[in-house]
Amino acid sequence: MAEIYVIVGAGAAGIAAAERIRLYKKDVTIIMMSIDEYSHSRCMLHKYLGGERTAEELSFVEPDFFEKNNIFWGKEQKALGLDIQNRQIRMENGYQPYDKLLIATGSVFGIPPINNFRTASNVYGFRDLSDARKIDAAVKAKNAKHVFIVGSGLVGLDVAVGLMERGVKVTIAEMAPRVMPLQTDDTAAKAYQERFEAEGARFLLGIGASDSIVNDQNEITGVVLSTGETIECDFVICAAGVRPNIEWLKDSGLAMERGITVDGYMRTSAPDVYAAGDVTGLSGVWPNAMDMGRVAAANMCGVEAEYTDRYCMKNTSNFYGLQMLTIGDINAQIEGADIYVKESRNCYKKAIVKDGVLKAILIQGDISHTGHWQYLIKNSVDVSELLKQKDVFDITYGDFYGMDDLAEYQYAL
Amino acid sequence: MKRIVIDPSKCDGCKNCELACMESHRTDGGTGVETLNFNLPETQARNEIVNDGKGGYLPMFCRHCSVPGCANSCMSGALKKDTETGHVTYDEKRCGACFMCVMNCPYGIPKPDAAGTKILKCDFCNERPEGPACVLACPKQAIRAEEVQ
Repeated sequence: MAEIYVIVGAGAAGIAAAERIRLYKKDVTIIMMSIDEYSHSRCMLHKYLGGERTAEELSFVEPDFFEKNNIFWGKEQKALGLDIQNRQIRMENGYQPYDKLLIATGSVFGIPPINNFRTASNVYGFRDLSDARKIDAAVKAKNAKHVFIVGSGLVGLDVAVGLMERGVKVTIAEMAPRVMPLQTDDTAAKAYQERFEAEGARFLLGIGASDSIVNDQNEITGVVLSTGETIECDFVICAAGVRPNIEWLKDSGLAMERGITVDGYMRTSAPDVYAAGDVTGLSGVWPNAMDMGRVAAANMCGVEAEYTDRYCMKNTSNFYGLQMLTIGDINAQIEGADIYVKESRNCYKKAIVKDGVLKAILIQGDISHTGHWQYLIKNSVDVSELLKQKDVFDITYGDFYGMDDLAEYQYAL
Repeated sequence: MKRIVIDPSKCDGCKNCELACMESHRTDGGTGVETLNFNLPETQARNEIVNDGKGGYLPMFCRHCSVPGCANSCMSGALKKDTETGHVTYDEKRCGACFMCVMNCPYGIPKPDAAGTKILKCDFCNERPEGPACVLACPKQAIRAEEVQ
C-alpha cells in the first residue's frame, strides 16, 4: 500500500511542502487538511474584505492544484489531537493515520486581556478566511459604521484598509507611539498615518484600551481607553499579535516551547513528524514559511535538506500608494553605530551601520532595486571599503556583481 | 533552459537592450523605438545597464534563477517557476502588489511599476521564437540567449 503523507494546514508552509513532496514521490498518498474551505493567501484577506477579490481569488495556487498533484484535499477539517504512539491524527469524525506527518497549522491571533474582550460575541481576529467572513457578515448584519481595531501592525492596517473600502470608520489603538511600530521609525510612521487619516482613520497612539462596555446581547458597544475616553463601536478586531497554533497538540507529548520544537531539518521530537511555518515560532513571514515547508518535504522524502536561511526581520508594505521595505530593527539603539538618513521629495531612507556592517535599513517611497539589502544585512557583509567611496544608499548589487558557470548571479565577496 | 548569458566585458553601455525591452512591452499600440513616449510612466525597461564606476558596465538581467527568491516569496501565486521552460513567469492578474519579491531577489531585479500596483520583471518576451528583444538589440553580443543546464 502506498505510504500516507499527511499535511495539517494549507497555508504557505503546507502548500509549498505538498508541491515538493509530489515532486520527490510520485506514488505516495498525500492528504492535506485545513479548517478553511479554500486554500488562501492570508496576506490578501483585506482584498476580500474590501470587496476587491472573491474567496477563490485569494488562492495562491492554480484551481487544479490538488487535482494536478493528486492530493486529497480535506477542507473544513479540524485536527483535534495527535496520537504519536499509533501514528494518527484525531479528527472530529474519526482518526487519520499517517506514515509521515507535517504540522503546518500556522498561528492564531491573541486577544488582549481587556474586560469582556475574551467573552463578548463581537470580537474578531483577522487571520483566516473564516475571520474575514465573520467580519464581512458583522459589517452587513450591523450595517456597521464604526469598528475598533487593537493594534496597528501590518494586520491591523490591512483590516483597516478593507473596512474603509466599505465606508466603515475605524479607530485604531496602538500601544506604541507610532503606527506599524516594528517596521517604521517616527518619520516613516507619520507618512503612513497621514495617508490613513486622509481616508478617515483615527489613530490612538501610545494609548491602550482599559475596559469595555457590553450590551445585553453580550456585544461590545464601546471601548474605554486608558485616558478615560469611551469610543463607541459596532465590533472589535484584535490585531495585536499572534502565537503558534499548538493548542490542539497540548496532550500529544510533542516537545513544544512557544511553538513546536524542531531541529534544522524541521523534525519534531516524534518520529516521522515534522513541523514548518508559523507553528514552529521561528518566523511569521511568508517566504520563510515556504522555505520551511520545502525543507520539511525534502527530509520527509529522504532527501536531506537544512533550514539555514532563517533571517526573518524583514517586510514590505504597500498602503495607499506608499511602499516601504524594512530589514532589521530600524529603531535599534546600538552603541557606536552610525545612523544615515536621506530624504527627498518622494523617498525616505534610513540605515544603521555598525563597524562597517549594515544592521538595519528602511526605504519608503521607491523601493526598486532594494533586494540586495536583505542579503547584505543577514550575511553581515562588510561594506566599510564601499562607504569610503560612496553614500551608503548608493550601494547596489552591482558592487558585488558576479556570475557562476551557468550565468546565475552570485555575490563576489 | 534558456538563459540570457552575460559577458559584461563586451558591454558598451549603449542601452539598446533597455530600449528594446520598453518597445517589446509597450501597450500604446505604437511601433519603433523612435516613437516610444518617455513621458509615460509605463515606459520602463525590465533590464538595466549599471555603470561599474571603473569604466565598465554591468548588465542587470533577470536570471530566472534555479532557486528563484522572488517566486519563493510570492504570496499570491503570481510568480512561478515554469517546470517546462525553466523561466519564472508572472501573472499580473494574480499579483497582490505586496512586493515581497522585490525584497527577496538578492540581486534587486523585479521592481514595482510606476503605479505601484504590479511588478515589472523579465518575461523572456513571452517565449517568442526569435528570442528576447534585448538580445536581438545588443550590437556587441554582450547578452546572448543560450541553453544552460
